[in-house]
Amino acid sequence: MRDRSLQYYLLVPGFLIVLATTFYPLAYSLTTAFRDWDLTRSRRPEEWVGFDNFIRAAGESHFLNSLWVTTIFVVSSVILTLIIAMSLALLLRRKGRMHTFTRIILILPFAMSPALIGVSFRFMFNPEFGVLSNGLAAIFPALEGTPWLASPDLAMAILVVTDVWHWAPYMTFMCLGGLASIPRETEEAARIDGASNLRIIFGIILPQMKGVLLVTAILKTIFALKMFDQVVTLTGGGPGTSTETLAYFIFNVGFEWYDMGYASALAWILTAIMMTISIWYVRMLLSERKMATA
Amino acid sequence: MMRILSWWAERALLLFICIVVLFPIAWMFLTAFKRPIDAYSLSLNFTPTFDNFVTVFSDPWNLGDMVMNSVVVASVTVLIAVPCASLAAYSFSRFRVKGRKFLFFLILSTQFIPAVVIVLPFFLMFRQLDLLDTRIALIIVNLAIVTPFVIWMIKGYIDAIPTDSEEAAMIDGASRLRVIKDIVLPMAAPGILTSSIFCFILTWNEFLFSLILTRRDAVTLPVGLVSFRTERGDLWELMSAAGVMITVPIFIMALLIQKHFTRGMTAGAVK
Repeated sequence: MRDRSLQYYLLVPGFLIVLATTFYPLAYSLTTAFRDWDLTRSRRPEEWVGFDNFIRAAGESHFLNSLWVTTIFVVSSVILTLIIAMSLALLLRRKGRMHTFTRIILILPFAMSPALIGVSFRFMFNPEFGVLSNGLAAIFPALEGTPWLASPDLAMAILVVTDVWHWAPYMTFMCLGGLASIPRETEEAARIDGASNLRIIFGIILPQMKGVLLVTAILKTIFALKMFDQVVTLTGGGPGTSTETLAYFIFNVGFEWYDMGYASALAWILTAIMMTISIWYVRMLLSERKMATA
Repeated sequence: MMRILSWWAERALLLFICIVVLFPIAWMFLTAFKRPIDAYSLSLNFTPTFDNFVTVFSDPWNLGDMVMNSVVVASVTVLIAVPCASLAAYSFSRFRVKGRKFLFFLILSTQFIPAVVIVLPFFLMFRQLDLLDTRIALIIVNLAIVTPFVIWMIKGYIDAIPTDSEEAAMIDGASRLRVIKDIVLPMAAPGILTSSIFCFILTWNEFLFSLILTRRDAVTLPVGLVSFRTERGDLWELMSAAGVMITVPIFIMALLIQKHFTRGMTAGAVK
């Protein structure tokens, strides 16, 4: 067999899977987004309604609330994860037995099921017998009787904390990889010149890490926008709708209200948001690369 | 020497990080071995018991069925996705396929699609085909998430293998397929194994698809957790026991590939 044809044959199985499992459903949901389809009324899609589903979204407070909730969640979890991951990487890049041990321990949160993380944080913040709620009250008596998951702001804060706990260790590894790839010479020269540690970090290391940090930020933003499991197992979107993210709202519209047309339209709005943000980031990354090579 | 923190402060900080990471995990493991009464107290002074594990594996919880579902779904997904992805990754890595950039972009772009978008149409299709609540349905949907990701990962590993020995073998008259089988696959084996474990972990922990597409027969472990929320309240000691069952195999796998773990996604992303 000639290489010329072989190179395509090798791609066929993988591509068939991707086409069948991703692009076909995508097309299906795009057409559904322009239809009226209430699953409780009809087994088949009903009439075409043009942009009605999208127009409905623009005017619905429920949807706008979920957009707001998602924004707060994504911004706070991305910023916190990046700061913590970068600091941990700076701390852990040195050699040492305890450094190595900590690096190994950091693998565990990422391997843990997000649904389970939600469940166990819910247990630990239980006001009566949660170990964290009681422990915090013992250290800071003012926190006694705090209604952790029953308060809208605190529930959101706990949701962010679980997400950072889950992702910061993994992102630390990405930052460690970046740190390993930047040359040490400038850093050492600056040290000989007597530059302070903080100046070395902010003046020399961080500027060279821009590319890596951008990639980390892209990935974290995408994961945060998709985040779903912990909302179900930790807060259930509540109290009220205070932690109802867009992904969770779409799930509700589709599988509680069975409004397939509307749910598909919302799902496409989420996709569009993710695509826009990704393209914007990639552009920044490319101009960053150009500056670096120029 | 560069030190922001003193030797002791640095050690204390590392210890604190370890505690923050390990505490929630340790607490779950402890709770799994507590009697229900002890689970609701914060005391560390309790007699460990295996009762919770016995309970979750017997009627009405039948965690054994869920373990089977999870094992079958994750293994079959890996067995389908990894071979197909390895071939595609080789082609992407070694040939200048026409439209290669576009095809690869297409593969990558699937990572930016939220799972909810995919699961809605699948729910409708599986309902038509009467495939709801089956393992096959879960395997198909998981392939959507995992395949592009594994292609990307394995390509990173194959890119890192030098082409010299392949070229030498082909000058000696070996066919391309033989080269792939006898030279590339053995050299890429550690990378492919790492990707397989990654793929297994992703599928094993997958929650949304199982939540929507299964009801009773094909429920996997992460969704099984939710069933311990009853009218009598959350049964924390049973949830923890189930949590231990979900966590232990994955932790073992993650620690096995520890060295390669971090390269995984990073290799492709930073390049």
